[in-house]
Amino acid sequence: MRGLTRLHRRWWGLVFVLPVVAFFATFSVFPVLFGIWISLTDYNLLDEPLWVGLANYRNLLDDQLFLTAFKNTLVFVLGATLPVWVLSLLAALLFDQAFRGREILKTLFFLPVLPPVVVVAVVWRMLLHPNGVMTWIAGGHRGVTEISWLASTTLAPIAMIVVHDWAVVPFFMVIWLAGFAGVPKHLREAARMDGASSWQVFWHVDLPQLRSTAVLVAALTSINAFQTFTLQYAMSPDPGGPANSTLVLGLLVLKYGFQYFRMGDAAAVSVVMFAMILAVTAIQLGFNRRGT
Amino acid sequence: MKFRHFGRAILVGAAMLVATGLGNAEAQQLTLKIWMHEHPPRIPIDKEIVAEFEKAHPNIKIQYDVLSVAEYSTKLLTAFASGSGPDVFNQTSALVAQYYTSRIMAPVDYAAMGYADEKALMAVYSSGLNGIRFAGRLHGIPTEVSNYACYTNNAMWKEVGLDPNKDFPKTWEEFPAIAEKLTQRDANGVPRRRGFDFNWPSVGAFWNSFNALLQQRGGSLVDEEAYKATFDTPTNQRTVQFLVDWANKYRLGGPQYTDSRTDFLGGKLATDCSFGIWGIPQMHAAKIDFTVRPAPRFADATSDNGMNAYAYYMMVNARSSPAVQKAAWTYVRYYSDQAARLFAGAGLFVPRQEVAAKAVDANSQVFLNELKKAKFPPRVVGYSQVTDAIFRGRDRMVQGGEPVAKVMAEMNKEIDAILTRERARAEAMRK
Repeated sequence: MRGLTRLHRRWWGLVFVLPVVAFFATFSVFPVLFGIWISLTDYNLLDEPLWVGLANYRNLLDDQLFLTAFKNTLVFVLGATLPVWVLSLLAALLFDQAFRGREILKTLFFLPVLPPVVVVAVVWRMLLHPNGVMTWIAGGHRGVTEISWLASTTLAPIAMIVVHDWAVVPFFMVIWLAGFAGVPKHLREAARMDGASSWQVFWHVDLPQLRSTAVLVAALTSINAFQTFTLQYAMSPDPGGPANSTLVLGLLVLKYGFQYFRMGDAAAVSVVMFAMILAVTAIQLGFNRRGT
Repeated sequence: MKFRHFGRAILVGAAMLVATGLGNAEAQQLTLKIWMHEHPPRIPIDKEIVAEFEKAHPNIKIQYDVLSVAEYSTKLLTAFASGSGPDVFNQTSALVAQYYTSRIMAPVDYAAMGYADEKALMAVYSSGLNGIRFAGRLHGIPTEVSNYACYTNNAMWKEVGLDPNKDFPKTWEEFPAIAEKLTQRDANGVPRRRGFDFNWPSVGAFWNSFNALLQQRGGSLVDEEAYKATFDTPTNQRTVQFLVDWANKYRLGGPQYTDSRTDFLGGKLATDCSFGIWGIPQMHAAKIDFTVRPAPRFADATSDNGMNAYAYYMMVNARSSPAVQKAAWTYVRYYSDQAARLFAGAGLFVPRQEVAAKAVDANSQVFLNELKKAKFPPRVVGYSQVTDAIFRGRDRMVQGGEPVAKVMAEMNKEIDAILTRERARAEAMRK
């Protein structure tokens, strides 16, 4: 009798989780599997997909557009992770201190997070006009009246990274602040009573306690940076340009899929991106697990 | 007797059934799904036409949707992919090759349109149909045929003592000196107001100008029939060098500046050659006193073409049912017969007698004269890839300062590879 009740409970349990499982399978698992299947075909969206096996992946190895986008993405990830990690931590350290006007300053600092990325991109596109405000700030005192921020193959990728970092640092600062709030006060007090300096308190007390936060920030910044698309699409007068200097993998997926009618290649690039993000996240989580 | 009655009853019943069936078929409602790209002045006229057509054809119901230009191509593509594409749609000549290759576009049904044959239809249009002819057959009807000519801001020209009617350059070689006169620079020589500039950032505008410039000297970018890049020739190199010099030697503009149409309407550019006849209402709205002049030719031009022609075509989905396709062509005929109304209300020019009769002013006449000489740019599958490759090469030469000969050789190779791959793909898909 008891066994029967247990079986009933199990069945009811399954019934209750079924909607969520079905939803997850339909909207998360199926699209991923469908994407992988498309990556094994040549599909122009208008005709039936043709099975090509791993050809799309093999072709990526000598596809100049993919290699350029891959390199650009790595450069962007580098510029959009490490500096963001450090700067957001520094900002959190600053705002973790008590000083006058802290709340107002913190609110102002947080403002860039509020508008959608596309709005940020459009605003910065105007600010970075060759004869615009940023040119005046950067070159006005030297008599320079024109800087091709977004039309130079050297400056454009840097401009994208700087704008990205400006927009996301405050968000990650908040995550660090939440981490700081979780550090037991008595540990800091004990360290101070033992004569530790502020730096020593940070290094030996705060930072070890913030390991999970540090890994979370690293993981989120990496995922965010690998998936970058909007800035490169909306900021540049020619998305991905000039001369492909800001072409990143996310943008290449759009171009392959919806401009070049090469959905199979677009899916293959997406799978590669997925694998890269998965690998980087796994490494970071592994690092966190080893430390605990 | 009884049997005879019974037999009659059966016959009458059968006849009624047939009649009812026929009646049903006749009364059967067809729904036509129509998608058009967004051109705000055209939308109210479209809606009027739809209402009139529905009234004249009570068995045809129209589901009319307008999609923004930015997302039109993508939405059209995904709709066809999911089998929910429109029955009637319009698209620009630059992008129709893919639809033809994938057999999305139905050949024109002359009978459904009420024309005896192709000759009867051709008699209505003086030009504009070549952009939609594939393998000798027409696959759509133009709803707009355009070409660019040059608009001058008369106030700015007058300010430096120039008269657009007398002083407008006849050759590209004369243009730098005149553009320089019209250019206002700051102390560092940076243009604050440009005299003339190409529309570098706009893919469509650049494609229509760039091709035309190559064609003036007998060159071309792509051989549409052979699917081969024909870009890297000494003549084309000279033409490209002119564009590079425009930005770097003469410093009269370049890809880093705002697109020329925006700056012309905003009073920051004295001359623009990337507006069509549809630009006239915009000039009036911006309160610009303007003159339209033909685009210059190279001094050694072998072809007397100005900028390229392009068109928007109304097409019918070949995957719709035969009955829907017939109804669709009936609608296309009805819509295309409203050309004069569309020109008057939305500025969309179609080369038909009754439309040309309305374009009587001197500025409009420049467009009509130029249209007769204009050529369509090549229509190839892989258009977006080819234009991206051109932009990449252009940026390397103009902004990266790389030598024209080196970059053009590489561009030619790249465009060739794109065309070869796309043709092979298209053939594989057809099988």
